[in-house]
Amino acid sequence: METLEQIKSRLEAAIPGLGLEIQCNGAVPGQASLVVPPARAIEAARFLRDDPRLALDYCSNVSGVDWLDRVVEEHARVTRVIDGRERVFDECRERRVPGYLEAVYHLYSMRLKHGPVILRQRTVNRVDQARVTSLTPVWRSAEFQEREAYDLFGIVFEGHPDLRRILMWDEFRDYPMRKDYVEPDDYEYEPTPHDDLKEKARRHYPIEADA
Amino acid sequence: MPSAPHPYLFLALMLAVGLVFCLGMLGLARLWAVWVSPPKPGLTKGAAYECGLAPQGDVGIRFQSQYYLYAIIFLVFDVETVFLLPFAVSFTGLAPGAFVAIMVFLLLLVEGLVWAWGKGLLRWR
Amino acid sequence: MDEGLRSELSRQGIFATTIQDLYNWGCRNSIWPLNFGLACCAIEMIAASMARFDIARFGAEVFRPSPRQADLMIVAGTVTKKMAPQVVRLYNQMPEPKYVIAMGACAISGGPFKRGYNVLKGIDRYVPVDVHIPGCPPCPEALLHGLIALQKEIASQKLTGPSRARAFQEEAPGEFPVPEYGPYDLVPAKNTDLWRPKPIIRDE
Repeated sequence: METLEQIKSRLEAAIPGLGLEIQCNGAVPGQASLVVPPARAIEAARFLRDDPRLALDYCSNVSGVDWLDRVVEEHARVTRVIDGRERVFDECRERRVPGYLEAVYHLYSMRLKHGPVILRQRTVNRVDQARVTSLTPVWRSAEFQEREAYDLFGIVFEGHPDLRRILMWDEFRDYPMRKDYVEPDDYEYEPTPHDDLKEKARRHYPIEADA
Repeated sequence: MPSAPHPYLFLALMLAVGLVFCLGMLGLARLWAVWVSPPKPGLTKGAAYECGLAPQGDVGIRFQSQYYLYAIIFLVFDVETVFLLPFAVSFTGLAPGAFVAIMVFLLLLVEGLVWAWGKGLLRWR
Repeated sequence: MDEGLRSELSRQGIFATTIQDLYNWGCRNSIWPLNFGLACCAIEMIAASMARFDIARFGAEVFRPSPRQADLMIVAGTVTKKMAPQVVRLYNQMPEPKYVIAMGACAISGGPFKRGYNVLKGIDRYVPVDVHIPGCPPCPEALLHGLIALQKEIASQKLTGPSRARAFQEEAPGEFPVPEYGPYDLVPAKNTDLWRPKPIIRDE
């Protein structure tokens, strides 16, 4: 199979002005992925599926990822003139990255027996613009999994034929797999509470010393 | 010599015993319900059973007439199987007359199927 | 009738019993379970009903597909919050006398999913449970043991008097409120008339 760089350059040649980005993965498997802008994701997906050399005809997995607001530290070397002498400083700048949600697609080719190529779509933010483009029109197998990502993460897939909750009930108003989800507090005592459970046990079953 | 009982007497006797037995059991159950086990009717208990889901709409809905057509066509083939099985078992030892008879029977059924097919009854809408 | 007289009579070849014993004998040897399973415990339940373990030895092999004909509800598996109203409704639709076995850690307390957002922390929050069978999942022998425990309980139930079984009490409810889907949890999250855990004294 082609490398991700080759795929990227061919995609960009086929669809001008697409604006792809390769996301490296520092973890052990090191599977890099292709970040596509949601506005044109469906064109890119069609290319990946129909291109004879890639033929990624099987979408095995759609998952959601929740990225909270985070602070990135950037180290830079700066030269400053102090007292007439040039000195080099290590400067640390903090940059705030607003949170977003991601839909990750794992694509394989049944015909050519290769894969996976990993596709990511990012939403603008986690609140009111959590929208990406549904790839169900391209890969039918994405339908239920996109519904699941909508159900548990609140990613709205535009162009999805039937975007309803799939695991939780329709009246449910929260997205339980988001990192800032707070579960309903019906804590019950466990024989060996530890960590945060211990704190909960303290609140729910006070002993005289605490109360 | 006592006269032999009427041949239908036993039949009547069996009918009577059967009736008394069934009604007696039902009566006992009724007595038990009144005497020991209090009836506990309830809204959910009396509701239509829909595998635990909240019942939606009325129970007494009308089925499509197509459903019955299917049922009748199924019945035709059911009966056909009853005849075809012994036919197949004794196929080698059959007289020509019997063979022709079952073929005529089959032809009639197939004719009916072709007619139903032609009318479009096999297409589910 | 006192025990001595009865044994004396039986020695003479006369069998004497009470209606209560007769009723309980019939009741406990024909417990028909409701045919439904919720998760992996159901596989063990199915195994218990098959030839090797053969739940028919205890008269409970007739798994009924309708709650109208069932006496016993084996809550076999994880009760998700989405499934809980259906389970309670099925219980409500069963005729009296009815019994419930909570099979497996999930049905008892939520089990390994206790801290999840979607799993009910024990079916006894909504329906009265007669026998709890711990295990994850309990093996078929454990289910049979639970069934025998239930049979013993039925054998000792009373038809009359103040301590009579729940089915024979006029005022005891035959059905329990079905929880509804709320925006964050089931509403109500538990039936407080039914589910009164003992207060826990924390010691540290």
